[in-house]
Amino acid sequence: MANTIKASDVKKMFLAGASNLNAKKEWINELNVFPVPDGDTGTNMTMTIMSAAKDVKNLPEDVDMGSLCKSIYSGAMRGARGNSGVILSQLLRGFTKGVRDYDELDASIIANAFDKAVETAYKAVMKPKEGTILTVAKGAAEKAMELAKEGAEDLEPFFEEIIKYGDEVLNKTPEMLPVLKQAGVVDSGGQGLMQVLKGALDAYLGKKIDYTIDEAAATPVASKAQATAEVDIKFGYCTEFIVLLSKPLNVKQEIDFKAFLESIGDSIVMVADDEICKVHVHSNDPGLAIQRALMYGQLSNMKIDNMRMEHREKLFHETQNGVYAEIDTEINGAAESTPTYNRDDDIPLKDQTPVSEKKAEPEFVNSEHKDIGFVAVCAGDGLAEIFRGLGVDYVIEGGQTMNPSTEDILDAASRVNADTVFVLPNNKNIILAANQAKIMMEDKGDNKKIVVIPTKTVPQGITAAINFMPGTSVEENEEGMKEAISTVKTGEVTYAVRDTMIDDVTIKQGDYMGIGDNGILGVGSDIEDVTAMMIDKIVDDSTELISLFYGSDIKEEEAAALSDRISAKFSGCDVEVQYGGQPIYYYIVSAE
Amino acid sequence: MSKVAIITDTNSGIMPADGEALGIKVIPTPFMIDGVEYLEGINLTQEDFFKKLADGADVSTSQPSPGALLELWDAMLKEYDEIVYIPLSSGLSSSCQTATMLASDDYEGKVFVVNNQRISVTMRQSVLDAIELRDKGMNGKEIKDKLEEVKFESSIYIMLDTLYYLKKGGRITPAAAALGTLLKLKPVLQIQGEKLDAFAKARTATQGKNIMINAMLSDFENRFGGIDAHDVHLSGAYSYDLEKANEFKGEVEAAFPGYEMHMDPLSLVVSCHIGPGALAIAASRKIHV
Repeated sequence: MANTIKASDVKKMFLAGASNLNAKKEWINELNVFPVPDGDTGTNMTMTIMSAAKDVKNLPEDVDMGSLCKSIYSGAMRGARGNSGVILSQLLRGFTKGVRDYDELDASIIANAFDKAVETAYKAVMKPKEGTILTVAKGAAEKAMELAKEGAEDLEPFFEEIIKYGDEVLNKTPEMLPVLKQAGVVDSGGQGLMQVLKGALDAYLGKKIDYTIDEAAATPVASKAQATAEVDIKFGYCTEFIVLLSKPLNVKQEIDFKAFLESIGDSIVMVADDEICKVHVHSNDPGLAIQRALMYGQLSNMKIDNMRMEHREKLFHETQNGVYAEIDTEINGAAESTPTYNRDDDIPLKDQTPVSEKKAEPEFVNSEHKDIGFVAVCAGDGLAEIFRGLGVDYVIEGGQTMNPSTEDILDAASRVNADTVFVLPNNKNIILAANQAKIMMEDKGDNKKIVVIPTKTVPQGITAAINFMPGTSVEENEEGMKEAISTVKTGEVTYAVRDTMIDDVTIKQGDYMGIGDNGILGVGSDIEDVTAMMIDKIVDDSTELISLFYGSDIKEEEAAALSDRISAKFSGCDVEVQYGGQPIYYYIVSAE
Repeated sequence: MSKVAIITDTNSGIMPADGEALGIKVIPTPFMIDGVEYLEGINLTQEDFFKKLADGADVSTSQPSPGALLELWDAMLKEYDEIVYIPLSSGLSSSCQTATMLASDDYEGKVFVVNNQRISVTMRQSVLDAIELRDKGMNGKEIKDKLEEVKFESSIYIMLDTLYYLKKGGRITPAAAALGTLLKLKPVLQIQGEKLDAFAKARTATQGKNIMINAMLSDFENRFGGIDAHDVHLSGAYSYDLEKANEFKGEVEAAFPGYEMHMDPLSLVVSCHIGPGALAIAASRKIHV
């Protein structure tokens, strides 16, 4: 084998890495410590790398290293979503900095680039934690450096050694992070990174990429994780289509339709405006979803994939911004294939911004210029309405199930006609992407500024928005809002997607769980009991107001009944019930 | 030395009966409640008013009628040489404008209408100041000028228990519009000079009270020479809930050591737009002779 690689090799290797990650994303999602339905590390990392792969794929075969690097890092930076996605984008950014000035890469240059990647990624995280993707990356980089110093020349053993060592570090992550050990999993972000590296190696070796390999055998993980990984696909067909509505859905129809979809599958995404409704569902009987949808209008852009036969899974659906991106699992000839993404750009949803290929100046959502504007991220029409009512100019309806990318946030901020845009991520997994958007806004240099208020939950975001004082300086507002968010306690109720153990609490698949700011606050088989149990723990003597935001799966009467129960128990507190409409989370509760 | 009479209206929180003890005249504010006219402090108590408000009665306020005002002026001028009339802030009511217009006709040099943007406890303080100035021998014009000198040197923050009445009244629209939301909020409004506006929002009473206290501390620091200067009167007001008011008084006095907060019920003109359960903190610059 050769001792160096050229830009065209790096391109192939990058695309293969991205493909491999894409193929393994559901499995990586399963490694999430919290058995919540939206454990989405795999999805976030995949969407991040795919954003770059889309650009890279269209580069010419004889692309130079500089242009390739630019496509990789700028695509990844823009598409970065979720903490693991942002870290991955930083790793790619650092790596490309290390190689962009060379036409051919040898072991020593690659080792240096790995080092640069790790350095860049560590800098992006405020409090780097060991036992995560960072640790795995660092391990791989150290090995690369060690081999390079020993005079490694042949790249094949060089890459193989790095990957072998990376896997070793990955398998040690449960020893470094007790939560991983208790849950019986390795770090999901670290696993994602290894999948990228393995895909790249396969391409280097000239292997025909084969995705039918037994995942559990191919990549060693802790034993319990293997057991769950093997049974992970409960619903076999990924089904997507757009309903051209004969008339707008009313709230009841929307709720009914969603409930129906939930009865036949999972991973449901349903977004409707007055004209169209986009549907995404994993089901064992896609025909049922289609028949039901025909009640509301004609169907278009239909796509059904058999997820159990993953090598056929070619379609990658970016639900948030309505862009379809396809990446060929066949590396050869990738450049010749016709890109099929952007096919539904001609029917964009209201309040959604098609992200790609948008060169024109964005239209402002507010016509009157102001000093300070607001962007908030949340899932659920009720919550979106609440944020708008509090003066938020642009609501990104992503949140827990669909983490918006750095570019989504940047784009939303660009559409707010204000000098300074406060961004409320309302989810701890979105804060990093928001911070990255802030940096990208600074890089644009057009005097517009993003300020991220690190709100980890929706109630924290509401509190921040409420505490905004018009007419006061950006700095005072930033300080005031940051201070205010510490006064609100949040609890969220969802269900467990698998058996696990967290904080010494045994959780069974299908159990309801109440999750507070610092861990599990209640587990059981009755939503109301679990919610009440959780509320007991977040309310204290100083609590004056308990707010219940009920999700799309909860009926108004059920929320009212729970409210009565809570009011009776805490007679000294006001209890307020609001429709949140959020998916996945039955109740989001705050105490302040 | 001319003999000066002092007249105010019930928006000062001084009821006609209290006025007698102070040696002044107080003209009652008229109310229409479900089509029946009442006079504040004469045949309408706070108790009755809030009961009717809670029952959803149709309540509207108006300024004292020009007829009643002229009648009182004429009566007083039989005994006194001059009148200092202190009506509700021109920023919130047209009664000041009406009175100024009336005074400019046949009462030139006899009736002095004070336009110093006061309401409730700050207006009450102006009345007390006027009495003091008169007792020191100042004439009507001098008293008016002195009071108007510190026209903009007052500050009021009011926390509402609910947005309901503010929205229902439709009168304080700019403030209400900025607070259109599904959530139950406790808005904090401010009155600086003639302007009534939204200041901040809170979800709980404790948050709202802290916002008011901090805003006032900052006003003391930035506008009134600091807490130790003791150059302002600190006062408070409330609608209907005395218990909450007393609790608030304790909290304010703890935050402003060395100050005693005078607390009055809010006048009904204000209460009718903000409803029961509101709390306010106010400061106005002391006058110096």
